[in-house]
Amino acid sequence: MKEQNAIEVKNLKKSFKVYLDKSNSFKEKVIFKKRNRFEERAVLKGISFEVKKGEAIGLVGHNGCGKSTTLKLLTRIMYPDSGTVELKGRVSSLIELGAGFHPDMSGRENIYINASIFGLSRKEIDARMADIIEFSELEDYIDNPVRTYSSGMYMRLAFSVAINVSADILLIDEILAVGDVNFQAKCFSKLHEIKKNGTTIVIVSHSMDQIEKICSRSIWIDSGEIKMDGKPRDVHNAYLEHMSEMRRLQIEEEEKRSEAHKPDDSKNAESNSEEKSDASKNDNGNKPEKSQRRGTGEARISDVKILDEKGQPLSLVKDSDYIKLEISYKVNKPVEDAIFGLCIIREDGVRCFGCNSLVSYQMEKNLTEDGKVTLWIENRFLSGIYYVDATIEDSMRNTIDYYDNCLKFEVNSMEKIDGVTWVKHKWQF
Amino acid sequence: MNHLKEIFEYREMIYGLVRRELRGRYKGSVLGFLWTFINPLLQLVVYTLVFSVIMRAGIDKYYLFLFVALVPWIFFSTCLTGGAGCIMASQDMVKKIYFPREVIPIAFATSAFINMLLTFVVVFVVLLFSGYGLNPVALLYLPIVMLVEFFLALGITLLASACTVYFRDLQYILGIISMAWQYLTPVLYSSAMVEEQLANHRILLYIWNLNPTTPLINAYRQILYYKSVPDLHTLLAAVILGMLVCVIGYLTFQKLQRGFAEEL
Repeated sequence: MKEQNAIEVKNLKKSFKVYLDKSNSFKEKVIFKKRNRFEERAVLKGISFEVKKGEAIGLVGHNGCGKSTTLKLLTRIMYPDSGTVELKGRVSSLIELGAGFHPDMSGRENIYINASIFGLSRKEIDARMADIIEFSELEDYIDNPVRTYSSGMYMRLAFSVAINVSADILLIDEILAVGDVNFQAKCFSKLHEIKKNGTTIVIVSHSMDQIEKICSRSIWIDSGEIKMDGKPRDVHNAYLEHMSEMRRLQIEEEEKRSEAHKPDDSKNAESNSEEKSDASKNDNGNKPEKSQRRGTGEARISDVKILDEKGQPLSLVKDSDYIKLEISYKVNKPVEDAIFGLCIIREDGVRCFGCNSLVSYQMEKNLTEDGKVTLWIENRFLSGIYYVDATIEDSMRNTIDYYDNCLKFEVNSMEKIDGVTWVKHKWQF
Repeated sequence: MNHLKEIFEYREMIYGLVRRELRGRYKGSVLGFLWTFINPLLQLVVYTLVFSVIMRAGIDKYYLFLFVALVPWIFFSTCLTGGAGCIMASQDMVKKIYFPREVIPIAFATSAFINMLLTFVVVFVVLLFSGYGLNPVALLYLPIVMLVEFFLALGITLLASACTVYFRDLQYILGIISMAWQYLTPVLYSSAMVEEQLANHRILLYIWNLNPTTPLINAYRQILYYKSVPDLHTLLAAVILGMLVCVIGYLTFQKLQRGFAEEL
């Protein structure tokens, strides 16, 4: 092991036996021999990496990619099939909080038990006792039995113990969601302090933000192999890009499936009333289920589609995609100087962007026969699900047709910006 | 060796678990900790009724003859039957946190051992107050015998708990094994009775003597009932067999514990 390293992992392989129907008892083992069939599933297919002393790294990857297994191998909860794991110094893991807590014993007694599981001696625990109690903010309750604690208090106590162990290597699995906002902030500053004191940290998390706040390096594990290793921002962007691609494929798959299942009743629908035929035309599958119509009805919006620049239907919108919103309409009675309007509403009801052809472009249209109008927008919305309302009004601003929730789309944005939309901006120092 | 050192570093955890086990066990029951004494005493009453009143074994002061052997036996059988499930009972910890797994069986055997020591207080009280008396010189050997029994019971706990993780039926089977084992060990009867019966079957006698609990129980009885120093032959057999079981248990556990997290 190299001098400057705290963790060395070489060619780690691990596979699990997945029993199709596991039998644990003798009777079952004898009678149902067939049930003992299992499949060997390779979770890690040869992972190697090194972590320097005092370095903080994050492990990212989709569910089941093997990152938690890697962490379990690092803590020696499990053992690899082949390959080696070497760690230098005391290891503490924030994987399970409050291990060994006994509800009938007081907070103080439980601190002794819990800290001893991390391998601390009585002397070491006594030395840390004051810090642990102070950090947990439970001074007044520390001698009460743990069963009288609220779940928040319980987690705070458990976290305080784990974080005050003063390990050389700290392994964290997706548990930084402890307590209220203030306590979380406190945990983060504590982690920073620990890092400054030279502790090596490995974090597994789905929250890229958490990793970026603490780590200087990130490893992306994909189906048991290291796909990328580098600066958190670069790795995370590549990872998110990959994930949104996966999401797009998934949505397309779902669409295909729903189309295949849809009975061919479009002809029947046509003979029914017009409203119904509008509602039943769930052509591209991303129509919201409930929509309401109002208006005088001289013309009707029959469909609103979201298309990409080339006119192909779009299921997942990405940053700065130019999107084409195409409104098709049917005319029952000619309308003069009709105004088209459109509003984009985020899932939680925030109206993000609304405009109509008169206000923004002084455009009106005489409606004499069925047709289409198009609104081009550059997508600047941030990740989320959005709904579209579309309207046709006459020149006196009376509603001819108001089509509520006529379209639903999803945006997957790489931008790490808070709020509703991306605004042109520049920093100056 | 390194591993044994690591286990030693976790002594605070062993201490904590033993404390939790002893304090937590009778929580909520009316008689609480008294059950530690009541249980063996009730067993003693039953066996004494059966073997000295109904069946008449013809042993002088049978209740004492039985009592000094029954208490160590209960410790051993607790480790055998109860210890089997100890890893499974703390599976939440085993699956989520690293610590030397031996800590759990060690803590279990230790708390059972402490229970036995507490019951021995009652044994001494009975021996003294019944006027039977004690031999101070013989008594010096008692700690050695107890220590040997502790290691034997620990080895059995390690073995049983590790195997039970892979084969869950074991903890039920062990109930019957424990009963059979008790009858194969001179707890209710004296060793001399068997030796008499098997005098012409040397091989059978030899096999019967391989039972690691036999020399132990004999040693207890020699010290407390016969008030004499245990003979070297018995003591040596107890030490060798006890240590052998302990080492086998430790090695087996070491090998099997690698898969615990996956099996549980």
